[in-house]
Amino acid sequence: MQNPYLPIPVVVSKIITEVETKDIKTFRLEFLNKEDEANFKYLPGQFAELSLYGKGESPIGIASSPTQPGYIEFTVQKAGVVTSSLHEIEEGTHMGVRGPLGNSWPIEYLEGKNIVVVGGGFAFTTLRSLINYMIHDDNRKRFGSITVIYGARTPGLLIYKDELAEWQKRSDINLNVTVDKGDASWKGREGFVPTVCKEVAPSSENAVTVICGPPVMIRFTLPVFFDLGFSKENIVTSLEMRMKCGIGKCGRCNVGSKYVCKDGPVFTLAELDKLTKEY
Amino acid sequence: MEKRYIKKDSLNGRVKKMAEAGLVYAPVKDGDNVLFQVLTPGMEPLTAYANSKNAPKNFFFPHTEKLMKYTRTEKGMAFSGELAEARDAVLFGVRPCDARSFVLLDMLFDQEKYRDPYYVARREKTTVICLACIHPPYTSCFCTSVDGGPTDAAGADILLTDLGERYLVEFLTPKGEKLEAHFAGEKAGDEADAQKQAITAQAEQEITSRIPAKEIKPILDANFEHPFWNTIHQKCLACGTCTYLCPTCHCFDISDEQKGDDGIRLRNWDSCMFPLFTLETSGHNPRPTQKERWRQRAMHKFKYYVDNFSAIACVGCGRCVMYCPVNIDIRKIVTDISKL
Ligand SMILES: Cc1cc2nc3c(=O)[nH]c(=O)nc-3n(C[C@H](O)[C@H](O)[C@H](O)COP(=O)(O)OP(=O)(O)OC[C@H]3O[C@@H](n4cnc5c(N)ncnc54)[C@H](O)[C@@H]3O)c2cc1C
Ligand code: SF4
Ligand code: SF4
Ligand code: FES
Repeated sequence: MQNPYLPIPVVVSKIITEVETKDIKTFRLEFLNKEDEANFKYLPGQFAELSLYGKGESPIGIASSPTQPGYIEFTVQKAGVVTSSLHEIEEGTHMGVRGPLGNSWPIEYLEGKNIVVVGGGFAFTTLRSLINYMIHDDNRKRFGSITVIYGARTPGLLIYKDELAEWQKRSDINLNVTVDKGDASWKGREGFVPTVCKEVAPSSENAVTVICGPPVMIRFTLPVFFDLGFSKENIVTSLEMRMKCGIGKCGRCNVGSKYVCKDGPVFTLAELDKLTKEY
Repeated sequence: MEKRYIKKDSLNGRVKKMAEAGLVYAPVKDGDNVLFQVLTPGMEPLTAYANSKNAPKNFFFPHTEKLMKYTRTEKGMAFSGELAEARDAVLFGVRPCDARSFVLLDMLFDQEKYRDPYYVARREKTTVICLACIHPPYTSCFCTSVDGGPTDAAGADILLTDLGERYLVEFLTPKGEKLEAHFAGEKAGDEADAQKQAITAQAEQEITSRIPAKEIKPILDANFEHPFWNTIHQKCLACGTCTYLCPTCHCFDISDEQKGDDGIRLRNWDSCMFPLFTLETSGHNPRPTQKERWRQRAMHKFKYYVDNFSAIACVGCGRCVMYCPVNIDIRKIVTDISKL
């Protein structure tokens, strides 16, 4: 019997400090056993429990894309016990990862549609996974136009800067990066995410919006998309609840009858409407 | 399946014999309480008792258990799984409500995707012998309101029914049949069924608590925001007694303990009645007060479990009713909900 509570052993092969405040780092993990890598089949939007022995586990969205073989990546903000300890480890450290867990962004449903990706702050992680997945040579044809609107408070808080620069060069993504407030060196857009969404005004024709960010951003952005004609079936987001088991057993992450760890974390707004507002 | 009679006064001795041959958990007197314990020489298994204070779920889902152990290495940590090798065991003397709780827990722990290997290994190796309640022991018993009954056998491998001078022994599963040798006795015929039916009818009649548990699901579907939820939690102390004693509550926490270079990962029972259960690192708590927590408890048992597994997650044992320090009564809550 497979034991879903046991982590898979991995080595931290690379650590990137993403932001100037240094409290967000991306960890690249490589599997210590090759067969574990082959078994770790995931899709963008899924998460995993990162396991630091003696500290515990934290559920973290998978920030890499399955089109990037050889490793998986997680972008983690320093918050409590586990994530702070993670921020102290060095490259070469052995740790554990348990997953992939949860459902994913609805890839099949997204196929053939125009995709609008909206992200705020460091919640951009699984959206980055989705973007890298869609723009991979093998997959790009399966999706229509790709519009990305991504915002952070300051230029120093934008994550994945190198990748943003790469995407900027491509003609097959309409990338809109914005900051609430720029600085002397910032030449890009200034403005809050909801405002930029209004300016970019992506068409709702055959389109799906995938949105992830702080609750206030989501609250002010959703009306913009309703005005643009997006239905609740065509707006998809990801929920966060405190988690432990990640497999629907420990009983703490439910919203109504649904377990966010197992039945989520990805839900359409139409699905969320049917659930209670207890999250 | 096979049915037999055994002499009433022989049961105690047979249980002790089983304990000589292997691992047996049985109800025993412990101070003022009756508790299930490993039967060792010199201990007297109870055959006529009301019910145990603790639900016997801990033999499959212990209060605390090791999930894995690990050792610090130069590079970080190496770990190994800690599947306690489950031993063949007999769980003797379970009451029908508690036996039924095993069926409910199986639905959660033994799902096709993500089987819980710790629970399943113990469950598969344990034979459950159930003692029917010919006289339901407490005024708070309400098994018949939640799909159970005082002589029901769901969750049991062997059912024993007290027929006065003798017990009727029913072997219900192949696992139960393996213990046939311990229950040597006269073969029982159809007359046993008639006698059992009469006893069942009588026992059911003795159950005075009847609640509309099966009618409230549609009401719960529609009333998540009802002001009624403001009326039950005020006196709740968030002590968690109700959930710890409940045979169907399954929530747990996972935590690490480290000493020097060695550590273990444990799972411990947890409770939706505790404020920390859902508290996030940011300080946000989706269930911020005891109101939301009590709503969760009621919803989980009478709606969410029904949505997910088509079964009510309460077996009517009455433990939460008897032991809540401030007398919050789930029977009253269910009845009140039915009138919303
Ligand atoms: C599906 C999902 C995806 C996530 N993705 C990311 C991500 O990509 N990057 C990131 O930085 N953070 C992410 N989070 C939030 C992250 O899980 C918490 O910040 C983290 O668990 C805090 O753990 P801690 O040990 O540092 O804090 P402590 O307060 O010490 O937490 C103790 C334990 O409580 C649980 N817990 C506490 N808060 C949360 C929470 N908000 N969500 C879930 N479990 C919690 C965890 O089991 C944690 O180990 C995600 C959460 C979920 C549910
Ligand atoms: S909710 Fe109360 S009566 Fe129902 S099974 Fe649990 S402890 Fe027994
Ligand atoms: S036993 Fe009573 S007081 Fe304690 S948590 Fe349960 S309902 Fe509240
Ligand atoms: S995290 Fe345990 S049930 Fe979802």
